Amino acid sequence: MSDAMHPAIAGAQPSQRAEKRPEAPLFEGAYQDRFEKILTRYPDKRAALLPVLHLAQEVRGWVSPQTIRRVGELLDLTPAYVRSVASFYTMFNLRPVGKYLIQVCVGIGCDLCRAEEVAEKFLELTRTRIGETSEDGKYTVIEVECLGACAFPTVVQVNDKVYENVKAEEVEGLLKELD
Amino acid sequence: MAYPYEHPRETRVLSKYFGDEDAIGIDGWIERGGYKALAKALGMAQDAVTEVVKDSGLRGRGGAGFPAGLKWSFMPKDGKLPNYLACNADESEPGTFKDRELMRWTPHQVIEGIIIASYAIRAQHAYIYIRGEFVDIVRVLNGAVVEAYERGYLGENILGSGYGLDLTVHAGAGAYIAGEETGLLNSLEGRRAEPRVKPPFPAQRGAFGMPTTVNNVETLASVPGIVENGADWYRQWGTEKSPGTKLFSCCGHLQRPGNYEVPLDFNLKELVYDLCGGPPEGRELLGVIPGGSSVPILTADEIDCDVSYEGIEAAGSFLGSGGLIAMDDSTCMVRAVRRMVEFYDHESCGQCTPCREGTSWLAKILRRIERGEGREEDIPLLLDIGANMAGKTICPLSDSAAVPVVSSIQKFEDEYMGHIRDGGCTAKR
Amino acid sequence: MDNDRKLINVTIDGIEVSVPEGKTILEAAERLGIVIPRYCYHPALSAPAQCRMCLVEVEGAPKPLPSCVQQVQDGMVVSTDCAEARKARRGVIEFLLLNHPLDCPICDAAGQCMLQDYAHETGQLRRRAVEPTVVLGRDHVTSEIVYFADRCILCTRCVRFMEEIAEEPVLQVIQRGHKGYIDTMTDELFEHPFSMNIVDVCPVGALVNEDFLFKARSWDLDQTASICPGCSQGCNVLLGTKEQRVVRLKPRPNPEVNSHWMCDYGRREVVRWGAGIRAEVPMVRESDRLVAIDWSRALDALVEALSEASGGAKAIVSPGASNESLFTLRSLMERVGFEGGYFHVTTGSEQVLKGFPKLALREDRAANARGAELLGFERVDYVYGALLGHRGVVFVLEEALDGAPEDFGEGVELFIYIGSHLSPAAGKADIVLPCPIWAEMEGTFTNFEDRVQRFNQALRPPGLARPIWLSFSVALARLGAGEPFTSVAAAFGALAEELGVYSGLSYERIGLNGATTAAAGSAAAARR
Repeated sequence: MSDAMHPAIAGAQPSQRAEKRPEAPLFEGAYQDRFEKILTRYPDKRAALLPVLHLAQEVRGWVSPQTIRRVGELLDLTPAYVRSVASFYTMFNLRPVGKYLIQVCVGIGCDLCRAEEVAEKFLELTRTRIGETSEDGKYTVIEVECLGACAFPTVVQVNDKVYENVKAEEVEGLLKELD
Repeated sequence: MAYPYEHPRETRVLSKYFGDEDAIGIDGWIERGGYKALAKALGMAQDAVTEVVKDSGLRGRGGAGFPAGLKWSFMPKDGKLPNYLACNADESEPGTFKDRELMRWTPHQVIEGIIIASYAIRAQHAYIYIRGEFVDIVRVLNGAVVEAYERGYLGENILGSGYGLDLTVHAGAGAYIAGEETGLLNSLEGRRAEPRVKPPFPAQRGAFGMPTTVNNVETLASVPGIVENGADWYRQWGTEKSPGTKLFSCCGHLQRPGNYEVPLDFNLKELVYDLCGGPPEGRELLGVIPGGSSVPILTADEIDCDVSYEGIEAAGSFLGSGGLIAMDDSTCMVRAVRRMVEFYDHESCGQCTPCREGTSWLAKILRRIERGEGREEDIPLLLDIGANMAGKTICPLSDSAAVPVVSSIQKFEDEYMGHIRDGGCTAKR
Repeated sequence: MDNDRKLINVTIDGIEVSVPEGKTILEAAERLGIVIPRYCYHPALSAPAQCRMCLVEVEGAPKPLPSCVQQVQDGMVVSTDCAEARKARRGVIEFLLLNHPLDCPICDAAGQCMLQDYAHETGQLRRRAVEPTVVLGRDHVTSEIVYFADRCILCTRCVRFMEEIAEEPVLQVIQRGHKGYIDTMTDELFEHPFSMNIVDVCPVGALVNEDFLFKARSWDLDQTASICPGCSQGCNVLLGTKEQRVVRLKPRPNPEVNSHWMCDYGRREVVRWGAGIRAEVPMVRESDRLVAIDWSRALDALVEALSEASGGAKAIVSPGASNESLFTLRSLMERVGFEGGYFHVTTGSEQVLKGFPKLALREDRAANARGAELLGFERVDYVYGALLGHRGVVFVLEEALDGAPEDFGEGVELFIYIGSHLSPAAGKADIVLPCPIWAEMEGTFTNFEDRVQRFNQALRPPGLARPIWLSFSVALARLGAGEPFTSVAAAFGALAEELGVYSGLSYERIGLNGATTAAAGSAAAARR
């Protein structure tokens, strides 16, 4: 990410970073610059809501009530409205997630090819349950609907990296690779 | 190098450069003839561009198959209001992954199509609404958009034509229903992606209340070729009602899953057996869903048809998005259907009662049957719930959820009855 | 407006009807008295067409259409009650009941619940679902309104009220699909002067007023068309009464005054008005104490005292007294010489309903300040100041005299107190006459923009309390001024005859919807 990011793409950065700064200000520095660029691309402020929530989540790691209020202030929307929209979309974490958000596709394409075994392996090795964060704060494993790469089952996305053709026996290696 | 598989019987028009890393960047793309169609289009009258696309018979590749040129022609020409183009890159129909590959390998093909379409409909701003989960693809696309700005294909006075266009990449955030065109518009406006009641149609009142055309990625990617080579060139493939080539995303129990591009008069059975290699060794094909999980399932002996819109419809299903899901005899049909219904349950926006409540009820019954707690009366009940859901809602998601249930009961009732009688699944998964 | 539009013909359930172009099927059907079942549709809100209850069959259409948004077209043939439409409705009801708690016996909405009504109407006897219902919780959304999530059918009427009418989108659908529910911002309650309308628009028992919770079954309430006396707006209301008490006020639709809405202040304030120690019998002073007597003797005493009075009369009145009461009081005062009538209006900040700005909680927190003004009573800040040094007759009408000087009523020739409640200040009166509160009588108020509106009697007045227009008209007759009024209509008739501003109006013409004075009417026309 650089200061020179083109306005056309400033809002299209759905990013889940390993490093999360839940208390970081919204927005400053390069993020302030991106925020302002986003606003130039739409005829009204409301339309910037999804990009700005993505931006906030990139910084803070999740969409907390404080984030919702701040985003509402920035875009002249009520907190209830922002909460309503944020809760409609599955990518906005309304609760904190681990350093690595592991999303295992269980869509029909992957399910036909035993995606559940991959998901179970992740849960077993991270010692978590679906949606819960491991005690060390490192992992949150969730099952997600079709990630749209059905020819490469099972598809797993960790933060913003996509892994294709993941087999249950490869899960351990994948987890090691993360660290 | 093809990606992931290539077959000599394919007709690679859109996917010609899949797997070719050098085609991704703008220089490589221009070397391969990119942006020539744009130059040609900008030299034509706007309505002449629309006319070529109309004549080509190109139909919307998002699933509904509405003629693209006709859709463009609904846009007001008086310039009183700003017109918008929205490229629907929210590909999320289970079993469909063609737009993802088009953007991954040939982002400039898509962008060129967007610019030409925007010119034809007199839009000054276009948005690519890309599925938020496509984090890796977004990066590719972003790079390509910036390149296009740098080379003057976007921005003011494109190629000295006087025409200017801004293009903004807008990432969704996890909602299948944002792929429905009016859901997309609401989402683009910063709202819940709830589909709108039509009329008014997007061409009358779309994004931000302004006239808007929403086109699928594959539709737009088809445009440069048509503009450059003419309608007749495009019509050399396919049928009268379904001209051209189309990408089929093939997944499930296949030896060579992947995207295959074939003319629309290609045989479906050959697509499954020859191109995709059929089911894995030692397995028999049980059924095929030819157009994404929203269309009826066909049994193995119903697939000897051509893949045109009308061909698949005659066989009892729909071309839909071209997401082909193959299931072999290891498949537990109840589980597969339950999984598809759970998807729709998860993705229902919740506005309409039949969809909000019906999807989760269907899923509960299917889970119960799968657990071996089904009752014989569940079969007519599932069919009746399906009837109460189909055609009763604002958008077709409700129908989509009912389709796998109803079609699988029609064709694989034994699977259900087996679960009910035997108290669970006996398939060798 | 309708008149400017082209008329088109449609057939609904076999009956042909002409309706202006642009009307929906649902509206057209209403003209024929056919009420198409609906949940999300509300006449004063946008129609999202999402509950799917109002689906009807239209000849030639491939699917049933939502009648709340589908506009009629010439020659359209609609069936609201064919097998297909009924099946669709039965389906919707079944879907809605899947996770509904069926706690009607303890639900506030029972008896006025659209889910109950339509479920009964579709007549499905047996539940087909064997799956257990989803149990959700309940939570406050304002300090007074509780949301029962299980009962909610997600019609979003409340959401749209806050968005479109209150113009403060503080209540929203959270989550999506079957996980959806209505809520405010996390852990916040919202406040809005018109918040309780969300309870009214809720077609089921999902949003309930905690103040009314478990107090009464709706079918045990008597409903009376009335006017809210809380401020000078004059919202049209239905009084819900039970066992001689006003239990609640609900807005009664009137597009000219309050649409379908009313403020929270009105609902909260006026239900208490009947409480407290009531004046129930007439009393007259005998030496140093007040003695209860019957009306006939009380009026004798009044007439006698007035005949003997040498000074003129001044009055302190309530701006909440009806036009007819004020009119007869004034007539009576004129017998001894009207020297002035005064009233004080309690005020508060004005709260406009942004999405329907005709409606506001007005600064004047009294129903009839304008009516009192038109009758020649004078609005003053300090009513007691106006009576300083007055030695003649004093009338006090419906004014509690809180804050009156200690010596109020001393040193005057005659002090007549007419009130619904006993007040310490009344202790000095020579004659005390008990009168009903607004809910216990009928009459008219004139609102801030000169609209005259009728309110009806919902409760029996306590004891011998009797409206002042009646008792004073008897007194007037005994003083030789014609016959007593036999009805409040007659009292208003006399008022309209005497006071030019009301000319052309009659009690009948005012009807249930009210009417503006000629002057106000022409002023409004001039504005248009």
